[in-house]
Amino acid sequence: MVVILIACSTLSLFAEREPFSPEAIRFFENEIRPLLRNKCADCHNNQLLTSGLSVESRETILRGGNRGEAVSLGLPEESRLVHAIRRQGELKMPPGEPLSPPEVSALVRWIEMRLPWPARLPAGNIPDRSSMHWSFQPIERPAEPKVSDPLWVRNPIDSFILARLDRQGLQPTPEAEKATLIRRVYIDLISLLPKPEEVEAFVGDIRPDAYERVVDHLLESPHYGERWGRHWLDLARYADSNGYNADGERKIWMYRDWVIRALNRDLPFNQFVIEQIAGDLLPNATEDQIVATGFHRNTMLNLEGGIDFEQYRVEAVVDRVNTTGVVFLGLTLGCARCHDHKYDPVSQREFYEFFAFFNSIDELSGEFNNDEGRARASEPVLEFGTPEQYARREALRAQLEVMQEELKTYEEGLLAKQAQWEACLSDDDLVKLSPSQRAILEIPTEDRHEEQRKSLRRGYFNQDVGHQERRKAVAAVQKLEPEIPSTLVMREFPEPRPTHVLLGGEFLNKGVRVWPGTPAVLPELPAKERYTRLDLARWLVDEKNPLTPRVTVSRVWQRYFGRGIVETENDFGTQGLPPSHPELLDWLASEFVSRDWSLKAIHRLIVTSATYRQSSKYRPDTAKKDPRNRLLARQNRLRVESEIVRDLALSASNMLVPEIGGPSVFPPQPAGIMIRETSFARAGESRWPKSEGKDRYRRGMYTHFWRTSPHPALMVFDSPNSLTSATSRNRSNTPLQALTLLNDAGFHEFAQGLAQRILRERPNGTNSERVEHLFRVCLTRTAQQVEKERLERLLETQLDDFRTNPSEAEEILSLPTPVGVDRPEAAAWTMVASVVLNLDEFITRE
Amino acid sequence: MSIRRLQLLDRTRRYFFSQCFVGLGNIALGSLLSDGKLLAGTAPQVENPLAPKPPHFRPRAKRVIYLFMAGGPSQFETWLYRPKLGELSGQPTPDSFLEGKRFAFMESFTKARPKLLGPTRKFQRHGQSGTWVSEVFPHMATVVDDLALVHSVVTENFNHAPAKLFVNTGSTRFGRPSMGAWVSYGLGSESQDLPTFVVLRSGEQTLMGGAYLWGSGFLPTTYQGVEFLRSAVPIPNLASPKGISIKRQAARLNAIRDLNLAHLAASGDPEISTRIASYEMAHRMQTSGPELMDLGSESQETLDLYGATPGESSFANNCLLARRMIERGVRFVQLYHTGWDHHGNRGNNLNEKLDEVALATDRPCAALIKDLKQRGLLDDTLVIWGGEFGRTPMGEVRETIGRNHHIENFPMWFAGAGVKPGQTIGGVDELGFFVTKDKVEVHDVQATILHLLGLDHTKLTFRYQGRNFRLTDVGGHLIKKLLADSTLV
Repeated sequence: MVVILIACSTLSLFAEREPFSPEAIRFFENEIRPLLRNKCADCHNNQLLTSGLSVESRETILRGGNRGEAVSLGLPEESRLVHAIRRQGELKMPPGEPLSPPEVSALVRWIEMRLPWPARLPAGNIPDRSSMHWSFQPIERPAEPKVSDPLWVRNPIDSFILARLDRQGLQPTPEAEKATLIRRVYIDLISLLPKPEEVEAFVGDIRPDAYERVVDHLLESPHYGERWGRHWLDLARYADSNGYNADGERKIWMYRDWVIRALNRDLPFNQFVIEQIAGDLLPNATEDQIVATGFHRNTMLNLEGGIDFEQYRVEAVVDRVNTTGVVFLGLTLGCARCHDHKYDPVSQREFYEFFAFFNSIDELSGEFNNDEGRARASEPVLEFGTPEQYARREALRAQLEVMQEELKTYEEGLLAKQAQWEACLSDDDLVKLSPSQRAILEIPTEDRHEEQRKSLRRGYFNQDVGHQERRKAVAAVQKLEPEIPSTLVMREFPEPRPTHVLLGGEFLNKGVRVWPGTPAVLPELPAKERYTRLDLARWLVDEKNPLTPRVTVSRVWQRYFGRGIVETENDFGTQGLPPSHPELLDWLASEFVSRDWSLKAIHRLIVTSATYRQSSKYRPDTAKKDPRNRLLARQNRLRVESEIVRDLALSASNMLVPEIGGPSVFPPQPAGIMIRETSFARAGESRWPKSEGKDRYRRGMYTHFWRTSPHPALMVFDSPNSLTSATSRNRSNTPLQALTLLNDAGFHEFAQGLAQRILRERPNGTNSERVEHLFRVCLTRTAQQVEKERLERLLETQLDDFRTNPSEAEEILSLPTPVGVDRPEAAAWTMVASVVLNLDEFITRE
Repeated sequence: MSIRRLQLLDRTRRYFFSQCFVGLGNIALGSLLSDGKLLAGTAPQVENPLAPKPPHFRPRAKRVIYLFMAGGPSQFETWLYRPKLGELSGQPTPDSFLEGKRFAFMESFTKARPKLLGPTRKFQRHGQSGTWVSEVFPHMATVVDDLALVHSVVTENFNHAPAKLFVNTGSTRFGRPSMGAWVSYGLGSESQDLPTFVVLRSGEQTLMGGAYLWGSGFLPTTYQGVEFLRSAVPIPNLASPKGISIKRQAARLNAIRDLNLAHLAASGDPEISTRIASYEMAHRMQTSGPELMDLGSESQETLDLYGATPGESSFANNCLLARRMIERGVRFVQLYHTGWDHHGNRGNNLNEKLDEVALATDRPCAALIKDLKQRGLLDDTLVIWGGEFGRTPMGEVRETIGRNHHIENFPMWFAGAGVKPGQTIGGVDELGFFVTKDKVEVHDVQATILHLLGLDHTKLTFRYQGRNFRLTDVGGHLIKKLLADSTLV
C-alpha cells in the first residue's frame, strides 16, 4: 500500500496545475524552452534520463533526479539546478561552456515564477524504456521444422540443428563409436571414467535403448550432483575463504553440499532459485532452505585493518546485484552502478532499486567498525550443534567471563604497582623488554602516548608470573570451546535499511532514496505494498520472465558443446551475440518450463539427441563453411575442467575416495605456494594442513579454495578465481599444464596408482595385454598397433634401466607397493602410466 | 563472454608455436605414421596467442623492470626534502589540511589532533642535476643524473590492497588484468623458453593483494605473470619427480609426443598440436629455468655491485635476476619488495626498520641502473621505482612516532628507455601535503609506460561484460615532461 500511496501523492503533486498567465507562458516559450532544449535535454530527456533527471516536462523536473530534488518551487536559492548552473557546488552544469549570465537569470526567474509551463495532458509516470531486443520478448514455442533426413532425428533438438545445417548445405557427422560415446557421457554427467567392464557391457549391448539406459543410470548417480553442482558453484562464486587480504577461512561447505543434493533430487529449477535467493523468507522455512541462501553469502568479506566495513558491505551488495543479473537474467546490470547503462535499457536508479532487495541483510557493516564487528564478522550463520554442544559452549563462555573479570581485577592490582616496578628494574628485567619498550621507559609517565603506555604495560604484564598463569588458563578454556558446524546464510533485518542511489557508485555519495524494484523493461512485479527478496526470487522464475529459462538452457547447452546457443553467455543484452539457433533456444526454454523446470529432463533430452552423439572428429569439409563449428555438423572436442583433470586421474588409478560432501580438504600442493601470502595471524604453510589418508584422494571440487592463493593445479587448468560469478571457463593450453601433469606430486602418485592397478588387474598378462588394459581403463578404447608398440618400447627401455639402477626405482616409488610386486617393474609401469595420463586425449572429452 | 574474447579464446585454443614442427623434424615418424598424412594439410592454420605482435607505433622501450616498493615508502625520508616541515615539527597540523580528508586508521587521528613530523633523515644535493636525496640512499645518490624523479603522483585509495591493485591493474577492485598482462596481450612474447611476464618477490612482510597484482583478470590466463618462487624450484612443478633423471624425463616426453602425434593424425584437432608445443616449451623451461636462476656464472664484480649472494633469496638477487631475464627475452619483470609501511609500531618504525629496508634496496637499485647502462641495455629498458602511496607529513603515534598513509603525493622514479634523465617533475607544498604543480595520476603513469612500449593506452582494449576495458579505465594522460623525445607524442 505504501508504494501506491506514494504514487498517488506524487501524482497529485505532479498534477498540480497552477494558473499561469499568458505572459508567464510566453516567457517560458521564448526564454526557457529553447534553453532547456539546447543546453539540457541532450542528456536529461525521458530516454536517457541521465542521473535520473529529465527536463521534458514540468512533472519530470519536479520529480527530480538521482541526487534528489532539482528545483524548489519559488525558491531558486535553494534549488540544486541553480547551484549547478552557477557552478557553486560539486555539480557543475552544463558540462563545458557555462550558461551566460542572462541565461542563468532567466532560469532563476522561471523558478521564482514556479515553473510556468503550458498546460497539457500529464506525461506518463514511468518513462517508456521498453526494448524490441530479442531476449526481452516472450518465449514462443516454435514448431519443429522440416528436415532433409527425418531418420537422423532422435528428438526435436535434432530437427532444429539439422534444419539449420540443411540451409547451409552441411551434413551431420555419424554417431561416435560406442566406446567414445560412453566415455563422453560419463564425463559430461558424472565426470568419472566408466569401468572397463561397463564399457564392455555397453559395447556388447545390442538393445536399441542401450545408450538411454546408461544415461538414466548416470542421471541417478550421486556423482551427477557433484558434476553439475560444480558448474553451479562457478556461477555462485563459491570459495572457502573471505577474499581480500586477510582472506580468513569461512565455513560455507554446507551450501556446496546443498547444491549437490538439490541437483541429485532434481529439485525443480524454479524452486532451486527461490530457495537460494530467499529461502530464509519462505513461510516455515526449513533449515535446508536457509542453508540454500548461502548462494549470496559467497560474496567476499574484507577484514583488513583500518578500513570502513561499510564500503565493503556495499561492494558485497553490488556483487549480489551483478551476480543475480548475470546468473539468471544474463544481463550486465553492473554497468549501471555508476551511470545509466550505456547500451541496455537499465538506468542507474533501477540498479539501486535492484540493490535495495539485498541491502537489508544483518551482516557486517559500517555500524560495526570495531572489534565487536570483527568478532561477529561471519554473521549471519546457521549452526548445527547438538544440545550438549550448545550447553557446553554456554558453560565455557560463562566460565571464561568470570576468569576474564578476575584477570582484569588482577591487572588493576598490578597497575597500581607499575611505578614501583619501573623504579627498580634489574638488568635481567630490562633484557626481557623490547628496545622500543626500553625507550618508552625513558619518557616521563605523563608524556607517554596511549600506544606507548599500552606497549610498556604489555611488557610489564608479561614479566609477572601470576599474569602469565592467568592468561594461560584463559587460553586453555578458550581452546575447549566445541567446534560447532555452521554455514553462512542470509538473515533479513526486521526493518529494511534505507537504500539510496550511490552517485558515481561511491558508497558515501548518497543520492535520492529508492525502494526495491525491477527494471522497467522486464515484466512487472505484481502490485504489492513492500517488496522483499522473496518477491524478487519469485519474479526471477515467473512464467512471464523470458530471460531465466533462456539463459539457463543456453548455459546447460554450453557445457555439452563448448559454447552456449547464445555464445556471449554472460550478456543476453543488446551488446551480446544473437543466438545461433533462436528457435531451438525457445523450444528448449519452453520445454524446460513445461517439464516443471526439471534440469534432468533437459540433460536427458540433450545427451540422447543425435546432435550430441555425433563424432567429434575434425572435418576439413565443414571447416570452410563453419570454421568455428557453430552449426554443430559434428561434436566438439573439449579439454576437461581443472577439477575433472584430477578426477579422471583419480578414477583411472582407482585411488578415488568417492565420498560426497563434507568440509573441504587439502591435497598436497607444491611448497612455497602459501608463503606469507595473506593472513597476518595465520600466514604460511599452516594454512595448508596437508590432508593425509582418504582426504588426499577426494574429487577436485572438494579442494579447499583460498581465494588469494588457490591450489595451483586448479588455477593452471583455468579454475575461475571465485571473486565474482564465472559464467564460463577459459580452456587454455599452456606449458604450466604440462609441468603439472608431468611433475606434480599428486599426479605422480596417481601414475603409481594406475601402474599398480594395471599390474594387479592383469597379474599374468603380457606387456601387450597390459598396455591394452591401460588404454581401456584410461581412454576406454583399444590401442592402435603403433601406440602399443611405442609404449612397449618405452616400458622395455625403462625396465632395463631400472633393473640396472634399482635405487632410482626406489626413488620414483613414493607409494608402497603390495607384497610380491617387483619394484623395478612397478617403476617402469609408472613411467608408462604417466605417459597416458599426460596425453591430450586423456584430459579431453572426445 | 565478449565477442573479442571469444576470438581470442579460439586463438588460445589453437595456441601453437610455429617452431614446433621444426622440432618435430627429427622424430622418426616413419613407423608411427606410415601413411605420412599427418603433416599433409589435415592440421589447419593455427595461431599462437603469445606470438610477437607489432606495437601501435615505434617503441622506445623494449622491456620493463618495475621495482615495486610495497607498503608506501615515506617521501619525507627518501626523495622529498621539506625543510619547512622540519621547522614546524611538533606543531599541531593546521585544520585546513585535514578538513574533509579521510585516512586509513582514522581513529589514530581522531583521538588527538595530529602533529607535524619533520624529516627524520638528512638530505643533500647530488649529481649535476643537484637532486636532493636522503642519507638512506647513498648508492642511489650516485645515479640521480640517470633518473627522472616525479614527486607529484597522486592516488585514490588509502588501503594497501586496493591501492596496490590500482597501481598494478588500474582499478582498486580485484580481478582486473595487471599492467604486465596487458603488455603481454598487446605485444606477445619474445622468449621461446621463458614466460614473457615474470614476478619476483622479496621482503619479510605480507604482500597485500597477492597474486592478483600480476593476474590476467579477464584476459586469458596465458597473459598472467609467472612468479618465480624463492626456492630451489622457481616455478611450481618445474623439477621432475625424484628419480626421474633428465634422460628419463626425455624418454617420457618423447613417448607423450609420439602418442599425441598419432592422435592428431586420427582426429585432426589443431588443439593437439598446441598441446604438443606446450610440452616442448615445458621441456625447454625445465632446462632454462634453473640455468636462469643460477647466479654462479656471474662475475664476482657483478655480484658485489648488486650485493648479491648466489643461493640466497633477496632483493639484490632479484635485481640481478631481472637483468638476466631481460637478456633472455622476458619483456616485463615485476619485482616486489615489502617492508615500507612505517606506521611507528615495533616492526614498522621510521628508525631502524626504515634503515633496514633502505639498506636492502638502495645498492641493488643503483646497481641495476649501472649494470644495464654498461651493458648498453638501459637504452631500450625502462626501469621504474615506486610504491602504492606516500606517507603523511603528520606523525602517527604508535609505540614510536611513524607516518600514516597519504594519497595526495608520493614519489616515483623512471630511468632508461625514452626517459629524459636528470630532472625532477612536480611540485608539492612546503609542508608536503598536496601537489601544487604537474599532478600525475596513476593512470597517467600507466599511459606513459604503455606509450614508451609503443602502445596507445586508449587502443589497447579488451571487450568484456559488454564494454571495452583498458588499463587506464577512462583516464590517462601522457607525462610529457618525462619523455626524452616529446615529438613522438
